[in-house]
Amino acid sequence: MTSAANANVGAPGRKGYDRVVVPAPEGGTRSLSRKQFEGLPLRERVSYLIEGTAQFFLDGSPISASDAMRT
Amino acid sequence: MSVARKALEMTQAATEAIVKRAETRYEAHRQEIYRTTDKMFAGLMIGQWLFAILVAMTYSPYGWQGKVRTIHAHVWVALILGGAITSLPVALAFLKPGEAITRHVIAAAQMLWSALLIHLTGGRIETHFHVFGSLAFLAFYRDWPVLLTGTVVVATDHLLRGILWPESVYGIPNPEWWRTLEHASWVIFCISFLVLSCRRSQRDMQVMAEKGAELEALSENVWRNSSVVERAANDDPKGR
Repeated sequence: MTSAANANVGAPGRKGYDRVVVPAPEGGTRSLSRKQFEGLPLRERVSYLIEGTAQFFLDGSPISASDAMRT
Repeated sequence: MSVARKALEMTQAATEAIVKRAETRYEAHRQEIYRTTDKMFAGLMIGQWLFAILVAMTYSPYGWQGKVRTIHAHVWVALILGGAITSLPVALAFLKPGEAITRHVIAAAQMLWSALLIHLTGGRIETHFHVFGSLAFLAFYRDWPVLLTGTVVVATDHLLRGILWPESVYGIPNPEWWRTLEHASWVIFCISFLVLSCRRSQRDMQVMAEKGAELEALSENVWRNSSVVERAANDDPKGR
């Protein structure tokens, strides 16, 4: 399933999270905006969530994945 | 097999299962909409058939022959041609619900119904509103190519009848040459927004399915990180 569908989930005014840090393919980590994260293939997002390797942030503060996924 | 390797394989298997379920949910949602809309149109087609017969028996003689009420040939047109237009889409709605061919046949038939009703009312301009209502109903499918099928059918009908029998479609024998283009332009204006709406609806359905997958993945992570004691306390007979 493609992930271009997620444009309106990250619409302005919606809370939950605004930045995600995930493992980078070449090693290390990469920081993504919510829109960029939601633009990743579903398979990739799901694997980060299962492994717990995605760290979510709201206004610079870390939040739990379950809080991030509330909206 | 190392623990890390086994954990990776478990993650891959869980990911595949969750993604597959999301795709299944999305497809099931689409099918539900297609099937429900097929049934709605089956009812509408039969309703239009009865309405056309009523129009042919009451309004059509006045529309086409002045104030003298006669048993008009349009009664037979409504009965036979209307039956022909109705039969295939209604049959497909019950025999092949949810299939693409059903949606496209319904779209074509719905536009043919617009054409027939316009003819039966003597090219009455207000009956052309049926075209726009029909396009809005076709948007219920949330499948924009269906709107293109409807547009091609109604544009072709207007073009051909506009040339061969203008009174049937515009109510006057000598309309301006560009009248068909004017009508087609309004249809294109209408479907431009309906196509956007259909695409947005499809995206929203996809987002819903993907959000479900993300929540499932989160749940899987919570389960993996909980202890055996915690899992047992959850009172799950299978241990998970």
